[in-house]
Formats: sequence, C-alpha cells, structure tokens
Amino acid sequence: MFALLEDAGFKRVRSTIIPGFAFRKESTRDAAEAYGVKAVLLTAQRPGK
Amino acid sequence: MTDVAPPHAEEQGPLEGVIKGEVLRMYQEVAEHPEGEFHFYHGRRAAEMFGYATDWLDRAPGGAVASFAGVGNPHLRSRLQPGEMVLDLGSGAGLDSIIAAWQVGPAGRVSGVDLNPEMRAKAQAHAREAGLANVEFRDGRMEDIPVPDQAIDVVISNGVINLSFRKRHVIGELFRVLGAGGRIAITDIVSAKPLSQSIVSDPKLWAS
Repeated sequence: MFALLEDAGFKRVRSTIIPGFAFRKESTRDAAEAYGVKAVLLTAQRPGK
Repeated sequence: MTDVAPPHAEEQGPLEGVIKGEVLRMYQEVAEHPEGEFHFYHGRRAAEMFGYATDWLDRAPGGAVASFAGVGNPHLRSRLQPGEMVLDLGSGAGLDSIIAAWQVGPAGRVSGVDLNPEMRAKAQAHAREAGLANVEFRDGRMEDIPVPDQAIDVVISNGVINLSFRKRHVIGELFRVLGAGGRIAITDIVSAKPLSQSIVSDPKLWAS
C-alpha cells in the first residue's frame, strides 16, 4: 500500500507497524504469522500547499 | 511489505461480488452481535489495545465502542484541527467518526462512508446519542467515494482498504477527494509475502 500511495502522487508517505495487533483465533493468527501479516499506520500528504 | 491481496487480485472480477457479500455479512454480524466472537479483537478491548484514550471511550456511546472493529488507531497521527473536513472511509459503527467530530469541532465536519446499511444506521444513532451535529454517514463504496473532488482536508480509515480488490483505485479516490495539502492517516493490514491463491480466493479469510 506504501507503493500505491507513492504511485498515486502522495508525498511524505510514512508507515509504522502497530504493536499489539493480532488475530484473536489461533488458526488465523498462525496463518497471518506465516505470511508476515502486520497492521500498519500509514500517513501521507497530497502535494500542493 | 506488500498488500494483503496481490496485484492480480484486482483482475479477479467474478470473485469480487462474493467477497463483498461475505464482508457485508461479517460486519453486519459485528453490528448486530457485538458480544460475539470473531477472528479479530473488537470492542473496548481492541480500542484500548490500540491506545484509544480512556476518556474518549468513556465519553463515546457504548454501542459505538462495543462494535469497534478497527486494526489500529488512526487518531495517533491524524493531527485533526478545528474546522477541518474529514472523511472516515469505512466508518462502521461510528467510533472513529465521533472522535474526529470532537476534534474538528462545530466549525468542522465529518463524513463517514460505509456500504453496510446496519452499520450506517448504528453510526447515525450513535452520533445522535453523542449530540453531534457535525457528522453524517453516507452509503458508498471505497472504490467510488461519494464526495466531490478536493472537498476533504483529512482522510481517516481503520482496517478497511485491505478488504478491497481494487486498492490502487481506492488510493486514487483518496487522492481525488483530498484538497491541496490534504492528509491521510490510515491503519490497515499488509503482508510481507504474497498470499497464496487459496487464501486470496477464500471469502471468509478476506472478511476476517
């Protein structure tokens, strides 16, 4: 999503991993860990000011 | 990090309707039965886990807190100012919109957009319960946001864009609705590895 934001023209794109995010069910959690699934906080700005 | 759905997911048109139906069903379940158990943490426990201020959670209508289903806290970086126009993409039961409405004050305005009619009805009721006149909830899809060009100062969103097959298009919509210098503060889910086709094609996993 970081790259999509830059491709769209956004500037100052920043991404921070959200600590503590996890799926509640163990089966989903295990699959998510295997694929490196993370929650992130993304910020960006539309240029022009 | 890549998106949860690989780029080729945007070409899987026939599956999109099935996924959308499962997403609607899952979040309708959260709206109607917030006491239920889901793949994700939700409600006050989740909001506290993501650092929502206790006084916000105490002040917000209980139903908005109970049906909270975000994956983080966009308010940590949204830097909302009085008078700003805010779009809450995928507004759910309204907690993030209500918190945003408090921050922008009566001179500002918050538009929540959600495709789930049960969630929109709940969000509207919660905003009324909170006594807010500067927030509205609209029917709409993130791929076709019902907002004019450059009408928004800040977009917030919480755990929603990962549910779309057409993320590039959604991001383009965010760019379109923001005015010059407009900002986004989005929490969402990404993966370090491309997901397998079996996962991408499973509506229940998309909705989880």
